[in-house]
Amino acid sequence: MLSERDLVARVQRLTVTRLRVWVKQGLIKPAEETAQSFSEADLARATLICNLEDQLGFSEEDVPVLLNLIDQIHGLRSELMSLLGVLEDLPPDVRATVKMRIESRRGRG
Amino acid sequence: MAEDLYSVLGVPKTASAGDITKAYRKLAKKLHPDLNPGDKAAGEKFKKITAAYDILGDAEKRGRYDRGEIDASGQERPQQHYYREYAGGQDGARYRSTAGFEDIGAFSDLFGDLFGERGGTREGGRGGARFSMRGPDAQYRLEVDLLNAVNGTKTRITLPDGGTLDVAIPAGVTDGQVLRLKGKGGPGIGEGEPGDALIEISVRPHPVFKREGDDIIVEVPITFDEAVLGGKVEVPTIGGRVFATVPPGSNTGQTLRLKGRGITTKSGTGDQLVKLSVVLPERIDDDLKGFAETWREAHRYDPRRKLRERA
Repeated sequence: MLSERDLVARVQRLTVTRLRVWVKQGLIKPAEETAQSFSEADLARATLICNLEDQLGFSEEDVPVLLNLIDQIHGLRSELMSLLGVLEDLPPDVRATVKMRIESRRGRG
Repeated sequence: MAEDLYSVLGVPKTASAGDITKAYRKLAKKLHPDLNPGDKAAGEKFKKITAAYDILGDAEKRGRYDRGEIDASGQERPQQHYYREYAGGQDGARYRSTAGFEDIGAFSDLFGDLFGERGGTREGGRGGARFSMRGPDAQYRLEVDLLNAVNGTKTRITLPDGGTLDVAIPAGVTDGQVLRLKGKGGPGIGEGEPGDALIEISVRPHPVFKREGDDIIVEVPITFDEAVLGGKVEVPTIGGRVFATVPPGSNTGQTLRLKGRGITTKSGTGDQLVKLSVVLPERIDDDLKGFAETWREAHRYDPRRKLRERA
């Protein structure tokens, strides 16, 4: 776990003020609200927000929209992965049926 | 020879600092790994344009590159850990949004509930090996009476857990035979199939009908006069009552065979064996007594001769 100070030190161009704004907006959710301890995922997320704003030139208003979409994509990906994991474990004939049904449904589009 | 940095960003050597930033941002928005969570190639391209921008976006470094003082590789940026590397893991779970599933419940009754409602802290789908095992077989005993065993029947048994099980008893089932009901045993674990229900049949003896293989044996009493003169007598069979012809001079212990009145199984149909038993009337009247006395005078016979010889 990282303290607020550690995290800020490890991300270029990040300041304590910026980080606190993101926490307040809910873009970053430290594991413990009071102790402000951050995980590696929080660090990577803070880096992403810096990337989006500084390197890619998105505005502060754009970033929450982007993060919301990114979070939805990861939610969908995660559920899709678990679904695929289950399908992978089914007997071969059932898997073949599922595949066929998916293909025909796509064909119907 | 490393690729020309200007062509990596797709700008002419004469491009202004503003144009370079604009070109970089346009490409970066398309290629940023976190905007392409599943696309590894995008990550590689993003690395390249970012390395190029690191040099060309910095007036001093751009000057040195133009003068040939540093090459295109410049210096390697410290390895950045992109958010997408965490988003799929446990740590990223609390950020994953379920908003993408809001309308899926309406799409599928059965599976709609499965998705998007499990909260933040569960494990991702790729989790550890699943354990699968076939369910255990369940053993039951079922007592049926002979006629039901012979003709087949349907019955419902109540299980110890309060559930019920419909059992079709095939015609001709024998005592001690085990019926297997596929999938009616204990539930499987994981993806394992349920076990089977094994039902051992025990056939309750019948007061009239005895079974011997596919044959049915019935003891039928006949009168003294039927034994002497012969005649038709009513005989119960497993299929209902029939008339059997008793030939004249029939005796106790003699057997009539009624073809095809036995038990039908896969191997064929058995017979009914009718064991005759001559029965005198309960009260011997004077007529019979007188007749027997006269008859004895002239027709002595010895049914016990063989018995004496053998004993």
